[in-house]
Amino acid sequence: MSAASEKIFRDYAKQLHEAANDPSISLALSRAIKSYRENVNKALTKFPHTVELAEEVRGIKDRAMDRLDEMVETAIASLADNHAQGYFASTAADALEIVDKLVGSGKTIVKSKSMVGEEIGLREHLEEKGNQIWETDLGEFIQQLRHDRPMHILSPAIHVPREDVAKLFTSFFGKEVPPDIAAEVGTVREFLREKYFQADIGMSGANVVAADTGSIIVIENEGNARLSTGAPPVHIVIVGVEKLVPTLQEAFKVAEVNWRYAQYTVPSYVNIISGPSKTGDIEKVTTYGAHGPRELHVIFLDAGRKAMAAEPLFRQALFCMRCGGCMYECPVFALTAGRFGYRYLAGIGAAWTAFGSGMEYALPLTYTCLRCGRCMERCPMKIDVPSMIAELRRRMAASAG
Amino acid sequence: MAVPASEALKLPAALEVIRGNINKHGNPLGLKGQEVSGWAKGLDLPRRGDVLFYTAGEYQMLPYIDSLVGALERMQEGSIGFSLMMGVRNLFDRAGISAEKLYASVLAKDRDRFNAIVRKAAEVLQKMGLEICWLGEQELYSGALLYEFGYGDDLRQHARKVIDGFRSTGAKTIITLSPHTAEVLTQVYPKLDDTFDFKVKTFVEAVWEVMQQSDQRWPAARISGLVTIHDACRMARELGITEEIRGILGRLDGISIVEAEQNRRWTSCCGGPGKMVFPEISKKVAARRVAELAATGAATAVSFCPYCLAQLDAGRGDTKLEVVDFIELLAGGMLG
Repeated sequence: MSAASEKIFRDYAKQLHEAANDPSISLALSRAIKSYRENVNKALTKFPHTVELAEEVRGIKDRAMDRLDEMVETAIASLADNHAQGYFASTAADALEIVDKLVGSGKTIVKSKSMVGEEIGLREHLEEKGNQIWETDLGEFIQQLRHDRPMHILSPAIHVPREDVAKLFTSFFGKEVPPDIAAEVGTVREFLREKYFQADIGMSGANVVAADTGSIIVIENEGNARLSTGAPPVHIVIVGVEKLVPTLQEAFKVAEVNWRYAQYTVPSYVNIISGPSKTGDIEKVTTYGAHGPRELHVIFLDAGRKAMAAEPLFRQALFCMRCGGCMYECPVFALTAGRFGYRYLAGIGAAWTAFGSGMEYALPLTYTCLRCGRCMERCPMKIDVPSMIAELRRRMAASAG
Repeated sequence: MAVPASEALKLPAALEVIRGNINKHGNPLGLKGQEVSGWAKGLDLPRRGDVLFYTAGEYQMLPYIDSLVGALERMQEGSIGFSLMMGVRNLFDRAGISAEKLYASVLAKDRDRFNAIVRKAAEVLQKMGLEICWLGEQELYSGALLYEFGYGDDLRQHARKVIDGFRSTGAKTIITLSPHTAEVLTQVYPKLDDTFDFKVKTFVEAVWEVMQQSDQRWPAARISGLVTIHDACRMARELGITEEIRGILGRLDGISIVEAEQNRRWTSCCGGPGKMVFPEISKKVAARRVAELAATGAATAVSFCPYCLAQLDAGRGDTKLEVVDFIELLAGGMLG
């Protein structure tokens, strides 16, 4: 075994076992799983058309994967029509280079949750360049203060009980924060509120992007995404190319399926952003930069996605909407949370990691998966994780000789 | 193409041990022929026939798995590094543990129980009127774990030998005892050999087929209290076998079923597949499934897969739940 990948495996195994032996993780997860199943059943009962819609969306996504290059081009052109800037980045490094040109250093940035941000190490990179960056999603804010990565893609601090949050906040804010969830939420609200308006830049990902209108859809409940994408003068979006669909109408369908399987009948906010803020109220002269940002930049990231799209087995991984449903069905995840993960989590994360980050990072995840297949039962896109894991193992074993 | 590793990859050593054993001895644990075929003593099963009863040696090796995993865990605690290490084909030799010594600790009662299950399965099929043949000491393991762990080339070679064995019996139909074997025979073998045209069915399917031919009810083993079902992942999700199980249990007298909350296609994994690489996590997964099954209030859980049986049985801890194999349940009544 090469020294580097042996270390990757050992470090991973150590953290995985620590998590599995941490009773607060399995307790928090069993509560979360129970409530997820109840909520998603409720949401699907109230809106039963979602199941059929999910099938339709699978077709939309499948067809879209044949048109990635074309959609990127269309989206960039649409954004230009809207007075926004679109970019294409082949690799994570390319994306960070574009970000550097736009951000520079010494800036204050408010960021809403983004798995692509995790994928390319955005926060760490921006901090290294001398910027101050604040995670505004409550869970991700908690993980930022803990110097840790998200433990679930939708609920990053899913494993941290309120008592621990209170201790963390008391120490960070330098004042007593009681182990009361409302008080904890209130403290962060107060702290971040001024950051939104001081920030030079707001950053976000996207849940789905419509190529024909250049519209970015960001689904959320906390309101942090509206503030961080709406208050600062500049908004930068980094999004994987697989989030593109040809039309806005299709994008709505994707969005609805996404939030429903993320256990919401309807989320508090669906942000649709297609360009910088503007006004023509004085003499009908269009002026950019009204109340919202005056600049919108959208970076479309490949980083292995086109290679996935070219392989029939792995292309389905790109249908993933990151609803997180699979993670609630994974028996290993129930014990270890996101420690069964690299930057992307659990079985589906192994496929993403193999193509995005490298086989040595994907190997431990690939051999953690039980191939039990319950994730696939839950997945609205019916992504065949067990088959992808089997194929990844075959490739890993073949290259191990 | 996925991003290749910057340096050569090496798989967890435990997997290399299994691979080496299958290649060298024909089964994952390096068992001797008698240990695999001893169950059939006195049954006088023919070596040729239309229906092949294929055990794949899986029940027979169950009592040995924990010894192997235990040895691997002890190595991990030492500095030998079980997870990843160089050239581990002869892990045991290096670590100073002989297979004989390792397996000497296996309890006779466990060995007897699992061998008896295989024998009972054959007897149940006979009792139901099927004429079965077997491969005797020539029987090889299916290679399911080679597939599971990613050893495609080894599987291809191993499968050739297995298929030669199948052909030597003249059988058209193969009855398997585990969903893992059924999975690899139905979903992988045809891709490795396009002349593979055997009809493969699980023991459950074979039994249900016969039962459906009449309205006859059958006696079951005497069991007090409610019985809950542990659907095996591969059985329920890969093979889609869930209602056959309920059909059979419905034909048995003296059984009252209570379903677990996670049942059929939503069943929870027993953790078995993780046993070789992360044994500690695997045990915890088993304990969680046991807790789900026990929460039904049932006194007994019935399993349909050898690995699930061993996992759940070992994962019972302090719970009062009994775990029995479906074959034990069936044979207990039918064979008296």
